[in-house]
Amino acid sequence: MELGYITAAAAAEAVRKREIAARELVESFLGRCTALNGRINSFIHIFEQEAMDQAEVVDERIKGGEALPLAGVPVALKDDLCYSAGPTSWGAAALKDFHPPYTAAAVEKLIAAGAVIVGKANLDPFSLGFSTAASLAGPTVNPRNPDLPAGDGAAAAVAAGQCLLALSSDSGGALRIGADRCGIFGLRPTTGLVSRHGLCTAAPSFAQVGIAAREAADIELALQAIAGYDPRDAATAAVKEGIPAAQKRSAAKELKIGFPEAVFDLLPEADRASFEKYRAKLEASGAAVVAVELPLFQEALHAYCVIAAAEASSNLGRFDGIRFGIPEAEANMEDWYHKTRGRIFDLEAKRRSIFGTHLLSGENFDAYYRQAQKVWKLVRRSFAAALEHCDLLVLPVAVSPGNGCEAGGDFLASYQEKLFCAPVSLSGLPSLCVPAGDGAATAAGLQLVGKPYEEAALIALADRAAL
Amino acid sequence: MVMEYEVVIGLEVHVELMTKSKLFCACPNRFTTEANSHTCEVCLGFPGALPLLNREAVQKALTASLALNCEIALHSYFDRKNYFYPDIPKGYQISQYFIPLGSSGFLEIEDDSGAPKKIRIGRVHLEEDAGKLVHGGAGDSAVDYNRAGVPLIEIVSEPDLRSPGESRRYLEQLKSILQYAEVSDCKMEEGSLRCDANVSLRPKGSTVFGNKVELKNMNSFKAVEKALEYEIERQAQILRRGETVIPQTRRWDEDKQVTIAMRDKYQATDYRCFPDPELAPIELTAGEVEAARRALPEFPAQRKSRYMAEYGLPAYDAGVLTATRGMAEYFEACLKLYDDPKSLSNWIMGDFSAHLNAAGLEPQEAPLTPAYMAALLQMIDKQLISGKIAKEVMAKVFATGKSPREIVEGEGLLQITDQSELEKLVDEVIAANPDSVQSYRSGKTKALGFLVGQVMQATKGKANPQLVNKLLAEKLK
Ligand SMILES: [Zn+2]
Repeated sequence: MELGYITAAAAAEAVRKREIAARELVESFLGRCTALNGRINSFIHIFEQEAMDQAEVVDERIKGGEALPLAGVPVALKDDLCYSAGPTSWGAAALKDFHPPYTAAAVEKLIAAGAVIVGKANLDPFSLGFSTAASLAGPTVNPRNPDLPAGDGAAAAVAAGQCLLALSSDSGGALRIGADRCGIFGLRPTTGLVSRHGLCTAAPSFAQVGIAAREAADIELALQAIAGYDPRDAATAAVKEGIPAAQKRSAAKELKIGFPEAVFDLLPEADRASFEKYRAKLEASGAAVVAVELPLFQEALHAYCVIAAAEASSNLGRFDGIRFGIPEAEANMEDWYHKTRGRIFDLEAKRRSIFGTHLLSGENFDAYYRQAQKVWKLVRRSFAAALEHCDLLVLPVAVSPGNGCEAGGDFLASYQEKLFCAPVSLSGLPSLCVPAGDGAATAAGLQLVGKPYEEAALIALADRAAL
Repeated sequence: MVMEYEVVIGLEVHVELMTKSKLFCACPNRFTTEANSHTCEVCLGFPGALPLLNREAVQKALTASLALNCEIALHSYFDRKNYFYPDIPKGYQISQYFIPLGSSGFLEIEDDSGAPKKIRIGRVHLEEDAGKLVHGGAGDSAVDYNRAGVPLIEIVSEPDLRSPGESRRYLEQLKSILQYAEVSDCKMEEGSLRCDANVSLRPKGSTVFGNKVELKNMNSFKAVEKALEYEIERQAQILRRGETVIPQTRRWDEDKQVTIAMRDKYQATDYRCFPDPELAPIELTAGEVEAARRALPEFPAQRKSRYMAEYGLPAYDAGVLTATRGMAEYFEACLKLYDDPKSLSNWIMGDFSAHLNAAGLEPQEAPLTPAYMAALLQMIDKQLISGKIAKEVMAKVFATGKSPREIVEGEGLLQITDQSELEKLVDEVIAANPDSVQSYRSGKTKALGFLVGQVMQATKGKANPQLVNKLLAEKLK
């Protein structure tokens, strides 16, 4: 069995049938984790002992007759998901040596389903970014092409075959952009479908726990394990009585797919051409392609940046050296805060804190924060209105590498890279990033955006259309 | 009192709610001496921990708002007030800034002439408390987060108070109402009620406010009154000299009985308030509000008038019995079983209260339940025991928890009403006290009291005193 390229579903089945022990499976993946990490730098912490112990527990449970859907499946966690077995650094100096006394709800559920956590994946400090360029551990290298940025450490670990699944956060598009660059599937679920308990975030309005996998069907498998009501996250109250059943569609030809032309016009010429190919493939699969409009699409990014910065300035306020981070103990508290926060914050954290503070201050509050909230509401409505005319939408994930701004560029231009992902975050709708363009790392990828709780429809289409 | 100026006072009161747990986590809302023992990842602001609203706190805030005659916002939400201080774990305090739960209410008090006066209440909002800094001897400080996240309501009055006396009565009335409504125990000395005062003076007849001073650090109602008196006099002297009062925050120094400037000028703090994205809005239905309104208890002022009108009690008795909800409810429970309000009132205000105070008990915790109280008073009425014996029995109920009947029967305290038994004793006393008999017969009627006392002593107080009187008077004719 070539374990590196097995699917999560097949691996779990093999473990359940005891064709392979979870211990063997996990040992093999841990080997890849360590062997490849020097080159790819996808992990900042590998649970060598803990993962083996966990695998042994899985083998015991299998012997005990439990039918575990994710039996022995090795999983990576972006290091903003709390896991009590080890440190959670959130990529930040402020959380050096922080061992959370709790495990994120989604991680608990994965473990309950038989998954084994093999390591914590690389990220930008406080998850503020989608390049890992600012990581204290250095950037993650794209396993497909070392000359291109990997984006997300967890997506890179999946792409490199160091694990079969990963959980990673997505606020403005980090997971989707990472999955796109690494050529794998990445799902941002419907807001409130997966508990955020234990997810460290600077942008609580937008952060969701997403899933990365090499196969669309594995995304479905993981989603079934982690979705659902959690009393610790009030946002999951909408699924307290169960997850609404998605509409049953047996064939692609019953699908109406919305293409927002005006949004594609924002792409460079070369990328627009790829979308013409995707359109042809979808039509060939029997689906009907319809034109839709998404007004305020460009304004959505501005609204996202304003709200995310405002929330970051507040959510990062707790890192003041009193409880987290080694303080610069000064008799004067002003000096204490200045020096401590000056040292434990990286450039982007400082930038957002200052930007957010400015936007929330008296004279700017109405002009920026209130206005951004209004735009948010309108964007949500515009997506809902577009989905009245179709079953799902096709959007770009990002401008293809080489056509956009690369790491080290102007920070405002780097915010611009979220142009296609941030509006979807505002919509609260599920979005599946699909590896496309015949596996070429330089092609522009696409995301399928569906109606609330219709993740399954997106996954089924992605599986079928072979984009 | 300063006659040429009008005093303008507004009070901001913070009250800790009596809930089982904190506002956004399951940590107990209870005092403990062990620092940081009532804490968890939520109230310590750990990353990844999400707040969860405690509905009991919303219910108490709703009750308080209704008790203070407020309009209720069916849709309100929490905001973050961002600032840096070591006693707040998250770098912000969760409060209701934009939309308070209650607004436009009032509280009725008596003004200095005894006339009723309505003090408008601007807002009642829900928020979380901060932790406590503990300052060490060597200039170092430690933080105790047990109090962080405890639910508070802030009650802000309009500047309608005109004297320190009115301010004290406003606080007393507020405390009484919030205790009655079981919203808070309102113990200012223990910090479950805290009060800041804004005070300014203006020439009589003026309609613009003078520069105001905020007073902090008053630890009792008396301190609030004293601090206001001091501050009014201080400001009046400044104004009389033709100078201007500096708007500032001043601290009451209890030892020196003076106010001291804390900050020389208002530091214009911008708290960058914005709706908390981690909390769902507070949604209430009109039905829930009505149910809470119906569940409000009868408040002390109404209750006092009713006691006077319905039970014919003097104002003093009605005031004492309604001072706390517990006492009033005890009185009413007794009254259901025993229908002489005045006699009941005497016993409750007298021996019963004395025993409660001695034992440090609330009326509801008293071993002498309303049923026991009624049984005891009925025994007096039926002349089964004397009032004096009843006092002893009550003490024994408090000491042992036994029923009055058990004590009376077990210790043979039933009054002797058997005429032949008493006649024998009367004869013995007459025979043993010829001198007293002689004085009585020579017209000194006082001597009869002595002889009655002798009979009572011989029966250890169990003889029916009226019967003894009658028998003696007959035999000595
Ligand atoms: Zn707590």
